[in-house]
Amino acid sequence: MRELNVEALARVEGDGGITVTLDGNKVKSVTLDVHEGPRLIEQLVKGMKPEDDLTVIPRICAICTLSHRYCALRGLEKALGIMPPEKTQLTRELMMLGENVESNSLHTFLLALPDFLGYPSAIAMLNDYADDVKRALRLKKFGNHVMAVTSGRIVHGENPIIGGFGKYPSKKALEEIKLKSHELIPDAARDVELFASLEYPTYPEAETVFMSVNAPNKQYGYAGDTILISNGKEVKAEDYKKLTSERVVTHSFAKRSLYQDKPFTVGANARLINMGKRLDGQAGDLFKQHYSDRWLKNPLLNNLAQTIEMLWSLEHMPDIVDQIAGLDDPAIVQPTRLTGSGTGAVEAPRGTLYHHYDVKDGLIETADIITPTAQNLDDIEKHMKLTAERMLADDKKDEEIKLVLEMVARAYDPCISCATHLVTLKRI
Amino acid sequence: MHKLRNTPGDTEADLKAQIEAFAGNGKIYVLGLGNTDRADDGAGVLVAEALKKHFPRYSYSEHDGVEGTVLDLSEKDEELTVFFVDAANLKMSPGTIRMVMKEEIKDTEITTHRVAVALMASILKRAGKKSAVICIQPKAIEFQGRVSDPVKSAIDILVKAFLQSIKSRR
Repeated sequence: MRELNVEALARVEGDGGITVTLDGNKVKSVTLDVHEGPRLIEQLVKGMKPEDDLTVIPRICAICTLSHRYCALRGLEKALGIMPPEKTQLTRELMMLGENVESNSLHTFLLALPDFLGYPSAIAMLNDYADDVKRALRLKKFGNHVMAVTSGRIVHGENPIIGGFGKYPSKKALEEIKLKSHELIPDAARDVELFASLEYPTYPEAETVFMSVNAPNKQYGYAGDTILISNGKEVKAEDYKKLTSERVVTHSFAKRSLYQDKPFTVGANARLINMGKRLDGQAGDLFKQHYSDRWLKNPLLNNLAQTIEMLWSLEHMPDIVDQIAGLDDPAIVQPTRLTGSGTGAVEAPRGTLYHHYDVKDGLIETADIITPTAQNLDDIEKHMKLTAERMLADDKKDEEIKLVLEMVARAYDPCISCATHLVTLKRI
Repeated sequence: MHKLRNTPGDTEADLKAQIEAFAGNGKIYVLGLGNTDRADDGAGVLVAEALKKHFPRYSYSEHDGVEGTVLDLSEKDEELTVFFVDAANLKMSPGTIRMVMKEEIKDTEITTHRVAVALMASILKRAGKKSAVICIQPKAIEFQGRVSDPVKSAIDILVKAFLQSIKSRR
């Protein structure tokens, strides 16, 4: 019996590792071990006012901070009987586009790309790919800028509030976003071509199920009230527990999810598989050009999906900006009730995020948050196990196997510290 | 790792001299890093925010976006040095200040949440700009804690030294 260990998985957020247990040349198990301690955020917000929850909840993650805030807003506003006005919805949409560009540019270029090009890190890539790294950083900077303009600051912006925004972006700021997004579109298109030209190992390939929100009006987007499943089904966001069936495992501080007893994928590839036909512009053209049946099997293609999505986000910004600029600032909508329940579902860059709230007499009674990484963990392990088995059968060296396993884990863009607040400690 | 200040001890004049010796004749920019929610961990941001009141064109913090700031500085057509200021566990007395060079920074620290200082320093170096990390030894980094006295004193002395250095060459 021997073990292949990646003790500290680099270039992901949080503290995790991979353990492959081998019996001779047979793979007994592959585990993605999450070492981060539980964060118990759901317990922390119990008894809080909804507006206070909004300040605490985004602290789950500094990179999907706006996804968490938006998801909480969607859940809480449903619970409080609030229908946000059009300008509010559009400005929230714009902030999500910014976060998508910010996060996808960082993940694809600085975290995932070095493996494909044979470098240990983005720093090592600088000598040969300085322009590409700088292009990614420029996109990240712009994504951060859009987040700051809409939410008030780069990280943990407090401007999106229940029923509206504290302050809407000025016309000048919106115009700058429109101009800059236009300017960056060719950069993002180059990124798609670069990722389309990479060689994606076939070892992890296996059929799986893909889930994402169903953006309204048959458009592509990052929020919705129903969940699309690649088997053709559609489920209300409120029924998220039927989709995720959470459970605890012994080797990890994060809960796991199964759909009909099987692992599933959430993320950019899931969004494109479920809604890719709705993409317009250059992103739509490039998706049609590069999409194949391999997308349904190979998680590494999530990297390519993220670049296509980043391009769409940039192409979509000018239109959203024009719509926002054409509307007057609405008053903040007040709750119509103080007791109720609501579930928010949004697409964080790394996949579908759920926030469910029960509010009683104006205070939060229960909160339930299911992050994309927690949903993906079983799927990651499934694809890693297949990878290890197939590479061992091909007599690949341990170092090669470890590298591809890391690539598989990284392809899901996991956010380990987001995933670890989900364990409940029960004392009997 | 270069000694900038032991604690208790050296004056801002010593600190200023060492900063200027490293920076040569070029302009000096400060980029403060850290988390102000965690007591002394926010020391770098506090230095930058204090400097901003006097020299907003020469001082930036993590709240302004690290990558964007570094990209913009790397493209400036002038001789310049960027000093990253951050709390770091030097295993020395709280408030001790040291200067760490690019070659001494770990280059594997890129995560989803934070792009490596080493990458930023490499980008600056490729653009012909100098950079160094000024590290302040924290005493306490608990959530919502207060900045400790020795780190307050280190922040003060660093701000005074930078103010004089930036003023003399802007």
